[in-house]
Amino acid sequence: MPWGTIIAFLLPALTFYVALTAYPAFRTLWNSFHKVLPRRTEFVGLLNYEQLVRDEIFWRAVRNTITWACASPLIEVSIALLLAVALYARVPGARFFRIAWFTPVLMSYVVVGILWMWIYNYDWGPVNVALRAIGLGFLAKPWLGDPATALPSLIFVTSWMWVGFNMVVLLAALHSLPRDVIEAAELDNCGWGAKLVFIILPLIRATILNLIVLSFIGKMKIFDLVWITTKGNPLWATETVSTYVYKRAFEWTTFDLGYPSTIAAVWFVIVLTTVLLLTWAFRQRDRLEY
Amino acid sequence: MVRRSLVLLALSLYTAFAAGPFVWVAMLSLRTTTEIHRNHFAFPDPAHWEKFPEAWFNSNYGIYFANSLQIVLGAVAVLTIVGAMAAHCLARYPFRLNRAIYFILFSTIIFPPQITIISLFQILVGYNLYNSKLGLTLVYVAIQLPLTIYILESFFARIPQDLFDAARMDGYSDWEIFWRVALPIAFPAVATTIILNFILLWNEFLFAVVLITEETNRTLPLGIQRFIGDTQEDVGMIATGLMIAIIPVIIVYGFFSERLIQGMTAGAVK
Amino acid sequence: MAIVKLDRLTKIFDRAHAPAAEDVSLEIGDGEFMVLLGPSGCGKTTTLRMIAGLEAVTAGTLSIDGEVINDVPAKNRDIAMVFQSYALYPHMTVRNNLAFGLRRRQVDRAEIERRVTGVAATLGLSELLERKPHALSGGQRQRVALGRAIVRDPKVFLFDEPLSNLDAALRVSTRGEIATLHRRLGATMIYVTHDQIEAMTLGSRICIMNKGRFVQVGAPLDVYRNPMSTFVASFLGSPPMNLLPGIATDGQGGRTIKIGPATIDLPPDRMPPVKPGAAVTFGIRPEHVGLAAPAAAMPAGFAVEIMQIERLGAETLIVSKVDGFDARLIARVAGDCPMAVGDRTQLVADLSKAHAFDSSGAVLAPTRR
Repeated sequence: MPWGTIIAFLLPALTFYVALTAYPAFRTLWNSFHKVLPRRTEFVGLLNYEQLVRDEIFWRAVRNTITWACASPLIEVSIALLLAVALYARVPGARFFRIAWFTPVLMSYVVVGILWMWIYNYDWGPVNVALRAIGLGFLAKPWLGDPATALPSLIFVTSWMWVGFNMVVLLAALHSLPRDVIEAAELDNCGWGAKLVFIILPLIRATILNLIVLSFIGKMKIFDLVWITTKGNPLWATETVSTYVYKRAFEWTTFDLGYPSTIAAVWFVIVLTTVLLLTWAFRQRDRLEY
Repeated sequence: MVRRSLVLLALSLYTAFAAGPFVWVAMLSLRTTTEIHRNHFAFPDPAHWEKFPEAWFNSNYGIYFANSLQIVLGAVAVLTIVGAMAAHCLARYPFRLNRAIYFILFSTIIFPPQITIISLFQILVGYNLYNSKLGLTLVYVAIQLPLTIYILESFFARIPQDLFDAARMDGYSDWEIFWRVALPIAFPAVATTIILNFILLWNEFLFAVVLITEETNRTLPLGIQRFIGDTQEDVGMIATGLMIAIIPVIIVYGFFSERLIQGMTAGAVK
Repeated sequence: MAIVKLDRLTKIFDRAHAPAAEDVSLEIGDGEFMVLLGPSGCGKTTTLRMIAGLEAVTAGTLSIDGEVINDVPAKNRDIAMVFQSYALYPHMTVRNNLAFGLRRRQVDRAEIERRVTGVAATLGLSELLERKPHALSGGQRQRVALGRAIVRDPKVFLFDEPLSNLDAALRVSTRGEIATLHRRLGATMIYVTHDQIEAMTLGSRICIMNKGRFVQVGAPLDVYRNPMSTFVASFLGSPPMNLLPGIATDGQGGRTIKIGPATIDLPPDRMPPVKPGAAVTFGIRPEHVGLAAPAAAMPAGFAVEIMQIERLGAETLIVSKVDGFDARLIARVAGDCPMAVGDRTQLVADLSKAHAFDSSGAVLAPTRR
């Protein structure tokens, strides 16, 4: 093996990885056992962890984030699947649709956040305007200001963003299916529904599961949208772990970086475990050849 | 036939739902706030194009835009070279630990950003890179490296070994083989990562908000956030600001939509 | 001038597995066309890649014209190789593909231009010089790959199954072109294939490999006529040589073999005397088995039942089962053979063309003919 060449090719990437990913990650773990003030660092053992267990806001944030991470994949993937299957039957202008639906994921959460703050605006947002127009004015409310509706409203925004993406992926998967298998199913007297359930879904199972995991991971990290729209308000109704870490590290005047590091470390373990569990549960038992 | 029209109708409705907000903000961006408050959903009549230069010159939009361009292009350039080198190496040389290194690099894709962000803040402060464009550029390279290597590795791995053997017999060194054979052949994948990284970093907010505070170093997403703070209820002006941020993305997307879709979906279809 | 010498060359990829090539020794003369032939995984490509310098040699020495080149990098060996997948650079035009190897070698521009044009003309590529590989047909790509080797004017040409990606008709014509090329250039060529027709038609000598070792080297017809082992006997020839298990019995001069119910006496020039009771494999090529062939010098009859008949037009292949014995006998007979499946008949083997192998599969050669 030409070790010199291998090292030369890998060194830049590994340097970035070690200096700006691995080392910071370990330093965060180290931080989590300390009180880290601007000029002083002091070992506190498991104190931060004990505090974390009793931190109600943290658990509220965990609940919100997990709700989000579980609801989103289901909503996004199932709607996307319905639309993809509908579109699979060759509709004119498929290329245009594809490009249009993909647009929201390309926008920054900052742009999307501001846009949807307006859409949810109590006085003139399209949602309330529409409700009043059809005589359901009593349902109009400040969607992001009401603790009961704030989180579902934000989940709706991420679904709006990501359904198109999921649909494009599913369409690609559908189009890569072997035509003859589906035709064989037709000869076997499968109707439209039977074809979908018995042939198409099992064949694109891997793609569906990948999308679910992808969506799950994305929502476990969510920060930007919340930060732009609600900053976790009202009453921690939309607080996510990411926003809470940010607040504790850079907004609250405790100046301690140790405690937010503890949150980050615990959250890191939770995310890693759930993702590993998910991939393990979803693993392909035997590769499909077609 | 009836079912077909129903399908088309549903798809059109969904398309209106997906694209509608952008059309709306585009209309708002061409109207003054006074006009908007009279009717939020009217067509721009007349279209106030002058709002664009106004937004650009009356705030620091020019600075934000230039910063974003500088940071993102810098990061994308470094990412492409560094990522392609690593991906080529992992795809080409079956050395021991190869898969281990690949897995370690790749697995960081699932890391929640909090695990590094607090320490990155400390580290950059330590090296005087906090609040600097260089610091943010380096961090951007690090966060996009796993995805870049992932996409490129799978492409490089499909180039037949015979080509590299042929180049070796033609007398090319390992570096020249990478530079003159692998990279040109992998051009489609390289282009995909360039465009993808450009858009993702152009939109990046979390690392920017933590690592940049100074007005002169703000990137566009930070600038927009700042802009809302300054102009508060000036909906028309904010909409113009949003459009300035969206337009570059739309232009890139217009030219390279297929490549971008490919890149974004690369991880999901297997 | 290029004499390639392999001396006890060994390649081990992984200590846990058998060597890919073991103790292979061979001298390939100047201007010779040597074909390495063997089933897939026999180590022929590994051997070729060691000669090319693409694989490091684990043990043994490799030399060209007496100079040991074990540690000389591929680029300095003055060897060109044609790959199975052609390995054309997809982002370069045909012209650049041809010139790429020369540019690297500090050949001056006018000379490169002259050589590329010349080679393109010989191979009929002149019209295609500005195209990229994806715009070429399989046969054209193949010729560019050949051209890329020729243009370098190397000491030694290596071919790694260059025809296996072509369709049948193109394969025949390209085979002819390679033979012409060899005659014209007179260069040393080493050619790897698993196709015995390519080996028989192209090679001035062929070298048969099995499980990482050279099992027999010689002129194609010589190897075909005198296989040194049951492996070569059954690998070369289509359909392969009939191999029937037998036992030596008491009889005239120790050359009597009992094969199932039949007993035959081999002539002295086909087998040395063996001890009675020893296992002997009797071998006979299908073309030396016939229907009561009157021309046979030394006939030996087998009562058989015909299991299968393949009428190929010019000839007919009869697959039969020997009566009272679990063995098949294949005969190659005239195209107008009147037999049908299920017929019982007598097949006659010409013992003057017979072979005998011992229990290890090695030929029982009479004192060298």
